[in-house]
Amino acid sequence: MRLRTRLAVATLAVTAPMVLGLMWLDGRARHRAAEFVLGDGTARRLQDPELRARCEAAPASWGKPRLRPPPAGARARHPGHAPGPPGGTPPLLYAYDERLVSTNPDAPALDPALRRALDADHDTYPLPARWYHDDVLVLVRTPWATGPCAYVLARGTTSPGFLGALLPASRIWLLPLVAVMIAILVAVGPVIARIRRLTAAVRRTADAGFAHDVDIGGRDEVGELARAFDHAGREVRAQLAAKDQRERALRDFLANTTHDVMIPLTVLQAHLATLREHLGRGTPADPAVLTSAMDEAHYIGALLHNLAVTAKLAAVDPGLLEGQVDLNALVARVVSRHAPIARQRAIALEHAVPDAALTTTADVTLLEQAVSNVVYNAVRHNRTGGHVALILERRDDDRFRIRVIDDGPGIPPEQLERLFERGQRGDQARTRAPDGQGLGLDIATRVARLHGHDLRFGPSEFGGLQVDLEGPLRAAGDDQDEPSSRRSDSITSA
Amino acid sequence: MSAPAMARILLIEDDAELGAQIVATLRRAGYDPTWWRTGRHVDPSTLAGLALVILDLMLPDTYGMDILKELRSASEVPVLVLSARNDTADKVRALKLGADDYMTKPFWPEELIERVRARLRRPVLSRVIERVELGRLGLDVATRAAVVDGTPVELTRVEFELLVALARRPGIAVTRTWLAEHVLPPGRDGTERTLDVHVSRLRKKLGSGVRIETVWGIGYRLSTEGT
Repeated sequence: MRLRTRLAVATLAVTAPMVLGLMWLDGRARHRAAEFVLGDGTARRLQDPELRARCEAAPASWGKPRLRPPPAGARARHPGHAPGPPGGTPPLLYAYDERLVSTNPDAPALDPALRRALDADHDTYPLPARWYHDDVLVLVRTPWATGPCAYVLARGTTSPGFLGALLPASRIWLLPLVAVMIAILVAVGPVIARIRRLTAAVRRTADAGFAHDVDIGGRDEVGELARAFDHAGREVRAQLAAKDQRERALRDFLANTTHDVMIPLTVLQAHLATLREHLGRGTPADPAVLTSAMDEAHYIGALLHNLAVTAKLAAVDPGLLEGQVDLNALVARVVSRHAPIARQRAIALEHAVPDAALTTTADVTLLEQAVSNVVYNAVRHNRTGGHVALILERRDDDRFRIRVIDDGPGIPPEQLERLFERGQRGDQARTRAPDGQGLGLDIATRVARLHGHDLRFGPSEFGGLQVDLEGPLRAAGDDQDEPSSRRSDSITSA
Repeated sequence: MSAPAMARILLIEDDAELGAQIVATLRRAGYDPTWWRTGRHVDPSTLAGLALVILDLMLPDTYGMDILKELRSASEVPVLVLSARNDTADKVRALKLGADDYMTKPFWPEELIERVRARLRRPVLSRVIERVELGRLGLDVATRAAVVDGTPVELTRVEFELLVALARRPGIAVTRTWLAEHVLPPGRDGTERTLDVHVSRLRKKLGSGVRIETVWGIGYRLSTEGT
C-alpha cells in the first residue's frame, strides 16, 4: 500500500468509529428528549374530558388531529429536541382497549405484557427505540383507564428523512472532519516526494556499487535516513574491501603453503627412494637419511596443524573456545610429540613441571600449538648433541610461566624484531622464511596476544633462544568446566 | 618404567593401515591389543579386564562420540581418543563425554606408547610417603636415615632434604629454583650455586649406587634407571 493510501485508511479507521459513536450518543439523547416531550404532551392532553367522549365515539379513526405545541417548560428543558415540525410529520395518537388491542387498522400491534410495565408506577411508557428508525413511540394510560380508549399510543419522530434517528439535524460536523483529512493528505505530499527522491538516490548508489554517497540534503528525518544509508554504504564498502583483502591473502597463503608443503614432501619422497635403493642393493641404509626423512614428516605434520590454526586466526575476530587447561598435561603432550624427533637427532629435550598441576583458562588447541611451535622451533634449529628444556613454573603472583630454552644458534636481535612486526601485521604469507623462523613463532605470538599472555623472546644464557610465555593461572574456586566462547576485541587482523 | 604385564588394550580404528601399525606398536611395547575395525555395541563383559581403550573418533561424523558415550556408560576404563582434527570443540566434547586423553594425528609410535604408559601409570601419592625405597636407595623421612645398599649414609639436614625432594618424584626433573627455594635454608646468598655444592657433596656420599643427574637447563633428577 502506498504511503498516502495507508495514511488515509489509518485516519479513517481512527475517526470513523469515533464519529459513529458520537452520532449514536446524539441520536439516543434526541430520542429520549422526544419521548419525554411526546409522553408529557399526550398525558396533558388526555386531561381534557371531551377527548374521552370523542375517542370512545370513534376509536378506530381517533387520533389524527395535531397536538398542541408542548408547554414552554418542557421545551426549555430539552432545547432543540422537539419532535415533529418543522419539516417532520405531526405526532399521531392511537386508542387501545384494556387488553392493548386497537380497532384502528393503522395502530401497531402491542404486546399485552406491556400493560404490566405501565401499571407498575408510571402513567407513560416509552417503547424501546430502534437505532435505525426515527419513530418515537410512547404508551400512555388514560386517567379513566377503561373502555376502548383505556390506553393511547403516541407516535412521533425525532427528525425527518433517511437515517433520521442517527444523523444530527445539521451536517456542519462533517466540515472539520473533511478538513483534517485533506490537511493530512496535503501535508504528507512533500514527505512522500522526499522519500521518493531518497529511494531513487539509494538505487543510484547501489547501482554504482556503493561507490558514492546518498546525498539528498535536509535536516529532517528523511535526511537522517539518507545519512544512515551513507553510513551503511560505507560499512558495506569497508566490509567488501576487507573481504577482498582476506580472499587475496588466503589465495596467496594457499599458494605459498602448497609450495611449502611440497618441499618437505619432495625431500621425504627422495629419502624414501634412497632407502628403497639401499635396501634393493643390499647396502646398509644411512641412519642420517632416515632421521632426515622422519624430520620432514614431522615438519609436514606441524605445518598442517599450523595451517589449521592460521585459518582460525585469519578470521577478523576469532572466537576463542576457552576452557580449563591442565598446563602440566599440555607440557607433557608437547614434549611427547617432539621427543621422538629430538631423540633421532640426538637433541636432549627435557622438561620440568611443578608437582601440583597448574591450570589456566585458554583455548587448548591454540595454546598447545603455540607452545609446540616454540619447542619445535628450538629442536628443529638445534644441532646434533644440543639441548632444549621446557619448564613450567608457578610465579608468585598467581601466574604461570612456560620457559623454553635451547643452546642452538638463536635468533639475531633484528630478526626477532621482524618476527614481532610480522606478528603484529598478521602477515602470514610466508610459512617457511629463508631464516627458518616462519609460521610457527608467528602463530605463537598471535596466540599469546589473543589470550592476553606475555610472550618474550630473548637470548638464553646458553647461547640459544629463550622464550617465556606468561599468563594468569585459573582463579581458585573458578570451577566452571564449560568452555566459554570469548570474542576478543584486542586482535584485528587484516 | 615397565608396563603392567600384558595389559589388555582395545583399539577401535577403522583405517586398516593405521590400525595394523598401532596394533604392531602396542604389541612390541608389551601390551595385548584387541582391534575392532568398526564401532560396535560394547557390553560390560567385553570391557571387563581392559586396561585402556584407544578410540578413533572417525571424523567427520560423530560416530566415535556415540561409542565414547556408550563406553563411558558401561565402564570406567580409561579412554584415549585419536582424532585427525586438531579442534578445541572436539577435544572439549570428547573430554566432557568422559575421554581421559586425546591425541591428534599424525603421531609417532613412540608418542603413542608414551601416552599409553602415562594413562596406565598409577598416580604416585608422593606427598604422604614417609619411607622411600628406590632401588638401592632407602630413605626414612621421620628418622632422617638414608641407606644405600643397606649401608647407612651420613647426610646433613640440607643434603637429606635435597635427596627426599628428588626421591619423591623419581625420574622427573626438578628445577634448581624450586630446590633452592624449598630445600636450602632461607636467607643465604648465592642460593643456586650453594645448591650445586650440596648436590656435589651428596653425589660423593651416595657413591655410584644412586645417580643424581644434572638436567640441562632445568636442574636435577634422581635417575630411575637400573631400579
